[in-house]
Amino acid sequence: MTLAFIGGSHRTVPLDLRERLVFSAEQAAEALKRFRLRFPGREGVLLSTCNRVEFYAAGENTAVPPPREQLLAFLAECRGIDVRLLEPVLSGECDEAAVRHLFCVASGLDSMVLGEPQIVSQVKQAWAIAQESKTTGPLTGEMFQAALRTAKRVTSETAIGRERLSIPSVAVADFARGVFERFEDKRVLVIGAGKMAAETLRYLRESGAHDIVLVNRTSVRAEQLAFRLGAKIGRFETLQAELTSADLIVSTTGATEIVVSLELFQRAEARRDGRPLVVLDLAVPRDFDPRIGSRPGVWLYSIEDLTAACAANRKNRQRELPAAIAIIEEESRRFMGDLHHRSTTPVIKQLRAGWTETGDAELDRLFRRLPTLDATAQIEIRQAFDRYAAKLLHSPLATLRSESHSGPPHGLLDALKRLFDLKD
Amino acid sequence: MIEFVSGISVFCFVASYLVALACEASRLVFRSGVRGAAMIAFAAAGLFAHTLFLVWRAATEQAVPLSSAFDWYLIAAWVLAGGYLWLAIANPRTPVGLFMLPVVLGLIGAAEFSSRQPFPQSPATQVWGAIHGSFNLAASVAVAIGAIAGLMWLIQAGRLARKQAPLRGFRMPSLEKLTQTSGRTLSVAAWTASAGFVSGIVLNAVNLQRELLETVPWTDPVVLRMGAMVVWLVIAAAVSRAVSRRPEASRITAWLTLVSFAVLTASILLGIFGATRHGVPPAMPAAAAIDSEAAL
Repeated sequence: MTLAFIGGSHRTVPLDLRERLVFSAEQAAEALKRFRLRFPGREGVLLSTCNRVEFYAAGENTAVPPPREQLLAFLAECRGIDVRLLEPVLSGECDEAAVRHLFCVASGLDSMVLGEPQIVSQVKQAWAIAQESKTTGPLTGEMFQAALRTAKRVTSETAIGRERLSIPSVAVADFARGVFERFEDKRVLVIGAGKMAAETLRYLRESGAHDIVLVNRTSVRAEQLAFRLGAKIGRFETLQAELTSADLIVSTTGATEIVVSLELFQRAEARRDGRPLVVLDLAVPRDFDPRIGSRPGVWLYSIEDLTAACAANRKNRQRELPAAIAIIEEESRRFMGDLHHRSTTPVIKQLRAGWTETGDAELDRLFRRLPTLDATAQIEIRQAFDRYAAKLLHSPLATLRSESHSGPPHGLLDALKRLFDLKD
Repeated sequence: MIEFVSGISVFCFVASYLVALACEASRLVFRSGVRGAAMIAFAAAGLFAHTLFLVWRAATEQAVPLSSAFDWYLIAAWVLAGGYLWLAIANPRTPVGLFMLPVVLGLIGAAEFSSRQPFPQSPATQVWGAIHGSFNLAASVAVAIGAIAGLMWLIQAGRLARKQAPLRGFRMPSLEKLTQTSGRTLSVAAWTASAGFVSGIVLNAVNLQRELLETVPWTDPVVLRMGAMVVWLVIAAAVSRAVSRRPEASRITAWLTLVSFAVLTASILLGIFGATRHGVPPAMPAAAAIDSEAAL
């Protein structure tokens, strides 16, 4: 075993336990320092987010990573949690499975929201903390670099993180932006002071909207929200006039009946000069008469429509999953192949050194016997010897490399050691 | 270098545009990190070859440069291909090539069926001929761009009405931008087509008055067709302007641009396959005048 991980996520660890298990940046650094003292010569990286806590350990030769039980006890001790509570909810993997898991995590495939991009920066942050705590090394270094490279490939070669999933983001980016090129010159009317209105307005503000009017039946709440969003306050009594001047309406009242009837809208429509209108009716029950959506130039979206669009986007992300998994499989195999090949390096070095030593000794003897040889001829002969050795070694080394792809080539290494009398 | 330029054929840039179009179409099927660059590279290569081809013809033809029906169609295609390249670079996520490149290829196809014989011109009417051809070219390009914007408007509006999120790789410009483009190009088309028609009348009148070249009869099919098209474009632009304060204005304009494009296409086809005295050298009998018509 060279690589190991233990951890749990939102899928396995209940929220109350996750809250106790999570590490702040300072706590993570402290835990890693403790790990370095407890397990000298091993590498360790602690990834802790609100949805997961995972510890990656690595080591080679005499300093193999600690077994699952020790890592489990270490995590429990760091957070002061009874190890029996963690035992059933934290899982562990080693070598290729651990690598594959990290690649999945970094690519957002194991996230609560499939394909969410924030995890990449969290992985980078975890790596940075481990580096500062001096618990990183060549193994975790290569593993985390490969994880970030894999995440980049998944993002660029699949659309897993492309489609939006939240209702306000879909409402603005997929629908309002489909109608309007820009929002700087558009008037936004907000009816009601619901939470969804604030979230939608955040997206609209980011898109450039600044002429925002808020109307609400109770003015106190409206004033608070308007102050927070930098919006003007309108009067509910002048709703028809506001409907006339608005280009985009976000409606989130808690009213139990229709707030904007078809008749009211038609009175406002007559004075709109044919300007298109986008209505995001995010209230349940609806604030706008659904028949308004059939009026020419009106693009009315209810919460149901937007939820359906979000669900379709979610499905699209799911559809990308096989392609993303294929990338992860490919990268995991490549990483493990390289890792296994690393284990053959000492044997190859010894083998080469032995051949070079023997060749040099033979050449020295030959040159002593043939003192008439000039420097150019000696160089030519030495190069011919080197080429000969390299050609003879090429085939066994290529076989070693290809065998490394399917696991550590212990059999071949043992055979080489015995055949050429190589020492460990 | 000269050998290289003289070796460029229509096939060279058609092939490049076709590859760029295939790249555009593949957006709907799969994602690729290098497709955008490949698409722009092929479109740019096509445009480069297209430009060299036109430059070579302008430099080597004996008559007034680029004054045949063949050249006219190729210049119209070149303008649209340039527009496509600019849009593809400025809006890499919009599949504008799916709409523009077929028009470019269609114009090149029309060129292949048209005469390469330069239009008969005398020094006295050369300027009027150039004005006539340029305005007609501008009108045709404007009609094509307007129709592309109109078609995109209808697709985008259909998607928004069905309350569907944008298709992957098929993100259209906003309705606001498409409405602006289609409305403006319809106006430009009406003005330039009118100017092209009037300059054609002046050209014909000068020929008639000075008995310089064989004139085109006022009842020639090309004259009647061009007249009808000008009338249609003026009516379409007027209707578009008249309804601009109505909620249906954008949809009406989109349809008007599509009908205008249909009229233009019919006009081009009739021009290629119909008989006319328009643009025919004096020595040629009318019966042999097929395929030698200038645009519109």
